[in-house]
Amino acid sequence: MRWTSGKLRDIGLLLGALSLMAWPTAAARAQTATSTADIIEKLAVEAESDLDLPALRQQAADRIKARADAQPQKRPPIAPQLTKLPQLRFDVVFDQDSSLIRPASYQTIGSIADALTDPKTRPYRYLIVDHVESAGRRDHNLILSQRRAESIRDVLVNTFKVAPKRLQALGLGEEQLQDVNRPASPANARVQIIVIGKFETAEPAKPATPAAATQKGGAGAKKKKQ
Amino acid sequence: MTRIRLFLCIIAISLPSLAAAQTMNFEKAGAMLAASCGKDIDDNCRGVNLDATRLRECLGRNQDVVSAKCRTDYPQALGAIQARITARTSLVKLCNWELNRFCGEVRQDPVKGLQCLLESTKKATPNCNKAISAAGYQ
Repeated sequence: MRWTSGKLRDIGLLLGALSLMAWPTAAARAQTATSTADIIEKLAVEAESDLDLPALRQQAADRIKARADAQPQKRPPIAPQLTKLPQLRFDVVFDQDSSLIRPASYQTIGSIADALTDPKTRPYRYLIVDHVESAGRRDHNLILSQRRAESIRDVLVNTFKVAPKRLQALGLGEEQLQDVNRPASPANARVQIIVIGKFETAEPAKPATPAAATQKGGAGAKKKKQ
Repeated sequence: MTRIRLFLCIIAISLPSLAAAQTMNFEKAGAMLAASCGKDIDDNCRGVNLDATRLRECLGRNQDVVSAKCRTDYPQALGAIQARITARTSLVKLCNWELNRFCGEVRQDPVKGLQCLLESTKKATPNCNKAISAAGYQ
């Protein structure tokens, strides 16, 4: 009897020790898996777009310069096509009036980096779009949002080694409010990660050497003649 | 005596799994850095973005004023980011045999080559599988 109770106590000790060792990693894994898996699921999808980013930036700048659509609530979106593409929104906190990412958002940036370096999202290209809530000068907000979008891109590329060709950055300031009815709402400052197409990684076919081209041309000409 | 044996047994069981463990993911490394060093970064490294090299340099330069928790954790958090990147870049070298044998046609394409490699883990050598785990891909 004494032997049995001792054995039971040892088994209990073993199970207790194992559960203590397993719990923190299991909890951490579950937490990580949920958030990153969610991001991957939403961003590892096919999408096609023919965005002309310099034209969109110019359009936003021109509209501000012309002082058109002064009322934030009545501004038509600069790039309505973006809303139709697969995307996710993130809260990224920056220093006031700066493109410096606050430590409070390091985890968010890390989870975006985890998702964008996952094998499932690797075949796709993404657009990082930053917005600023309606307050202060419109032209200043447009420039600030562009710098912030580029700051996120830089961190993803330089710190987490996401392939630079897969990421583009666009700042839309307060020109495409996400909550039109409340222009000053923080919801309008959220960052979007948008799927914009396939990432072609295969080496492009090598251009034919002049000699080969001449030969080919010659052969073709000969064929035609025949 | 039995308990000591039991304890040694637990250690023996856990060691191989720890050796083959995944590197820390970016999310966890970011969270660790923010939790342990957020205030220190605000106080001493204002103006430095989330950049492993610059943050390491700045926190190291301010070792005498940063908190003890940050001093302990920042090399671990920034090291984890680097470890995962290194594990991923060395994957091609460590799984070269598998890439040649099972993925010869697509191995030049980084995306298709990786996808093919991850589909071949059952046929891959233990070393290659360990490298895939370290990279956080399984």
